[in-house]
Order: sequence, then C-alpha cells, then structure tokens
Amino acid sequence: MTMAVNWREWVEDRFALEPIREVGFLRKVPGTPWYYGDGAALVLLFGVLVVTGMFLALSYSPSPDTAYSSVRYLTERATLGWFVRGLHYWSAGLMMVMAWFHLFREIIVGGYRMPREGTWFLGVLLLFGIFIMSFTGYLLRWDERALYSTLLSLHMFQNIPLIGDEIVLFVQGGPELGARTLTRFYAMHLLFTPAAMGLVLAGHLYLIYRHGVTSAAERRERIQSREQQRALYAREKERGEPFYPDTMAKSGLFALAVFLMAAGLALFSGPLPMYPEANLVNSTMPQGEWWYWWYSALIALVPSRIAPWLVVIFPPLLFLALVALPFLDRNPYRDIRRRPWMGAAVTASAATLLWLSYLRYHSPWTGWPTEALPPVPQEVRLSPRAQEGRALFSRYGCNSCHPIAGRGPHVGPDLMRIGRRRTPAQTRSQILGPPPGSPMPSYADRLSEEELSRLVTFLMELQR
Amino acid sequence: MDRRTLLVRIAQGIGLVVTGIVGIPALLLALSPVRGRRRPAWVPVAPLGAFPFGEVRQATVPLARDDWAEKPAEKAVYVWRPAPDQTVVFSRHCTDLSCPVIWDPGSERFFCPCHGGIFAKNGDRVAGPPRRPLWRYDNRVRDGILEIDLASLPPVT
Repeated sequence: MTMAVNWREWVEDRFALEPIREVGFLRKVPGTPWYYGDGAALVLLFGVLVVTGMFLALSYSPSPDTAYSSVRYLTERATLGWFVRGLHYWSAGLMMVMAWFHLFREIIVGGYRMPREGTWFLGVLLLFGIFIMSFTGYLLRWDERALYSTLLSLHMFQNIPLIGDEIVLFVQGGPELGARTLTRFYAMHLLFTPAAMGLVLAGHLYLIYRHGVTSAAERRERIQSREQQRALYAREKERGEPFYPDTMAKSGLFALAVFLMAAGLALFSGPLPMYPEANLVNSTMPQGEWWYWWYSALIALVPSRIAPWLVVIFPPLLFLALVALPFLDRNPYRDIRRRPWMGAAVTASAATLLWLSYLRYHSPWTGWPTEALPPVPQEVRLSPRAQEGRALFSRYGCNSCHPIAGRGPHVGPDLMRIGRRRTPAQTRSQILGPPPGSPMPSYADRLSEEELSRLVTFLMELQR
Repeated sequence: MDRRTLLVRIAQGIGLVVTGIVGIPALLLALSPVRGRRRPAWVPVAPLGAFPFGEVRQATVPLARDDWAEKPAEKAVYVWRPAPDQTVVFSRHCTDLSCPVIWDPGSERFFCPCHGGIFAKNGDRVAGPPRRPLWRYDNRVRDGILEIDLASLPPVT
C-alpha cells in the first residue's frame, strides 16, 4: 500500500503533474447550464474522428485504381471495418450539426463578446476547418456521388473571377479530376487540415481556460468595460464549481449522448452505402451529403442571375460576417431577450437551414426521364384510347417534368384536372406550340394527328 | 547595434531562413499544377456514321491521362448531328455546377440532376440556374472517325 502511494507521488513529482491537476482540473469555474456541453461534444467528436480516421487509413489506398476497392474491402471484409467507417461517417455528420448548434448557441449567450473575441475567431476557423474536412473527405470514397460532389465544389471555385481556372488547377492538381486530385485531397484530409485544426483547437481551449465561458452574471448584467466583466466573472468563479468533476461530468454527459447517437447510427444503419465506383460515364442522380442539403437548395432556389456569384461569395461572406460580429454588436447587454434582432436572426437562420434541407430532400425542381407509365390515381377511369395516350405521355417524356396528382417531378404544372382549366383545343395548342420562354418543348413536328388526339384524350380524362 | 538587438536579429533570422528554405520550395511544389499549360488532346469518339442525323446519342471517349493511375479511363459525351455536314459534341457536365446531364429522347431535353437545369436539343438553356448553353468540344473528322479535343474546354467541364 505504501509502495503504491510512493509510486504515485514519484510519478506526480517527476512528471510535474501536480500543477496540471491543480490548475487544469481542480480549479473553480462558474457553474454552467447543461447545454454548454456542446463544446465538449465537439471536442469528443473531433477525437473520435481522428482515431477512427487513423484506423481507417490502415486499409485505405489513395489511388483512383484502388481507392474504391479498398473502401469496399474495409466495409465488407475487414473485421468491424463497417462499424469504424460508420462511426467516422456519423461522427462527421453530427459534428456538422453540433457545429451549427454551438455557433447559434454562442451567438445567443453573447459568447463572442469581450473578452472572448479571440476564442470566437478561432472557433470560426474551426467551423471552416470542418467544412474543408467534409469537402475533402467525400472524395476519398471514390464513388459516383463523391466524384460529382467534388466536381460541383470545384465548379464553384471556377466561378471565381479572373483566377477561377488557376484555382481549379491548384485544388484539382491538374486539368482533369483524377489521381492527382485524390492524392491532394487525401493529404489535405489526413495531414494538413487535421494538423491545423488540432493547433487551432488547442488555442481555442487555451482561451476558454484563460477567459472562461460566458457566465450567468455576464448574461444578466449591463457590461460596459473589461474591468467590470473581470470583476463579475471573478465573483461567479468564486461561487462556482470545481471544473473536475462537476463541469466535466455535466458537459461529459452531453458529449456522451451525442457520441452514443453517432455510435447508434453506425451500429444500426452502418456507414453510407457504397454507390457505383467513380466514373464519368453512367447516368446518375448524385446527391450531396445530407449536412449540405441546405446549400444545395439555396443554389437551386436563388435566381439564376445571382446563383453563380452566390456560390462564390457565400462562404467568404459568412466568414467575414462571423468575424465582424463582435465588432458590430455594441449592445451592453448579452441577454438574448435584450437583443431581439440577434434572437430573430438566429431563429431565422436555424429555421432556414432546416427548411432548405427539407426542400432539397424532395428536390421538386429536378426533371428526370423515366420509362415507367405515369401514375394515375385509382379513381380515374381511363378509356382504352386514353390508355394509349398515357403510354404516349411517357414515350414523349411529358412525365419527365409534369406530375399527375402530385406524383412525379414538379417542374411543370400538375396535369390532374387539367380538363377543368383548359379546353381540349387549348391543350392541343399548348403541346404544339408552348408560349415563348416556356421550358416546354414544341411537339409540332413530332406528334402525328392521331397521337396528339390520344394524348389530349388522356389529359382530359384525368379527373374523377 | 547593442548586444541585445543583435541577439534578437539572430533569433528572428534563424526563423526566417529556415521558414524560407522549407516554405518557398514547398509552396512552389503545391502550386506546380497551376503552371501546367494544356496541349490539344485529340481523342477518337466513334466512326461518324454511327451517329444518325437529327439525333442525340451518348458516346464514350478514352481519357488521355497524364498522372499515375488508369482510372477514370473514359468519359461520356453527347453527340448531335443537326445536319450531314455538321456535328456537335456536348460535354455531359451541366454549365451550372458540372453535374452529369441526361438526354431524354422523349421530351428532347437535357436534364441536370442537381438544381433543375434543363437544356434544349441544341444545348441552349431553357430552365434552371445555368446561364450558358452546354459546352461544346472542338471536333474534327479524320478518316471517317469523329474526334474531339479534350483540352478545348476549361477544367471541370
């Protein structure tokens, strides 16, 4: 027993652990509510991503010839490879969610206010680090979806005026997307960005240690000067709790809940399924990862005059806006109830993110050819002639754009009950000569009189 | 210059020298792809006779790679012959954000799967975010074989 105690003292002395214990762990900090654990959750996810990433790298091969097969091997044959990959994938997804949560939460409690501007700036850098990690992580799978997601991002770079092509060549590593691109992305994803993020994270945590986090008193009072803030914080600290174990247990529970969610998702739904190997030949409907759906919808919805500019300026604009925030907000109060505009902005931003993601999920703006007959509600009774018209409806690609009773793409108007809005003659002339500016093609040279008549019969019978 | 100033200069100088010797070559190495000028890269598509007048057909061309891997080895393009003496070869990449458009022979439209871009048979934009028509490769016919110049379009097209 004495031996054990002596050994413990020896280690503590020779490795100079005591100051770390006293200053780092046993120090008092102001008590914080449970939702301040979002930062701890992000740190934990970062750690999980680093560790799972290192182990994934054990059997990953960064060459277009072998990358896809190596991920397949890893997922399907290596022991528990699917689980480790799943953990990596879902931790990345939840990290994106938690990063937004953390960002909005800090805005709400005024976390960017004096004296924590430095903490805030490093946090903004980390947010963009997460963006870079997810941008470069995609491609490593080397499947169809990864390839087109990357091409899409590269195309955004190309929209940059004057030096667009050069930037694409720099990021892509050459004139075509290929081995050089994959190798560059591999290096960015495994070395450059994680190393940089590790350093910035260390700085972020150091500043949290020095300046603390926004305490309850700071959120209550009117604060005019740094001295006043210092005094308020010192008082809160005096009344506070030990960092270890109180704060660590509280925020650790939050972090654990988030981590268990990632682990549960990995366990029950596995990693992202493998799409066909990256190729530039197949017809495919690529989709970005769900955590970027909002951005995809944003691009699709803004007017086409603005969209190419928006994709270029949105990320730097977001960056500048976040950096400028501490300088623009001069309100002496940090309580969100006394900063109604900020509250409204945060609520609107969060709602917009969710709403845009929902829209992207349904993608009503995308037309797509299909061989199948257009679905028709059961109550609709079609004459044999209309049935022939229905076949023509799909042969001539009408169902590539038009839905019927809500089913199908939503590019053109829904044609259910079109007979109540248009006469047969109007419908005929719409098919033969759509008004100028309409995306609909003219079928004047393509449909025989007989075909046209069957098609119109089908359309007119589309009602109950 | 006093002793202290000299020591400060030395300390800072060491940092500068090492950073320069490591950093400048490293930076140039990272930037080297930007310098690559593209030479014409003519690749065969198929015999011209394989493409009937008035129709749009998908074809694949081999990719001339200049790196260390074989894949992706080929790329699909769309060929349209509006008239016997005229051939158009479209890039499959949407002019909005490079997603692969699909040709719908039914409606005679190209559809982009991503943000709703739609193009007419001649490549003109008819709907969605794209601003310009589909990209067209330079093409020529040699010994009855249709060829295109892969380097005739900017990167990511």
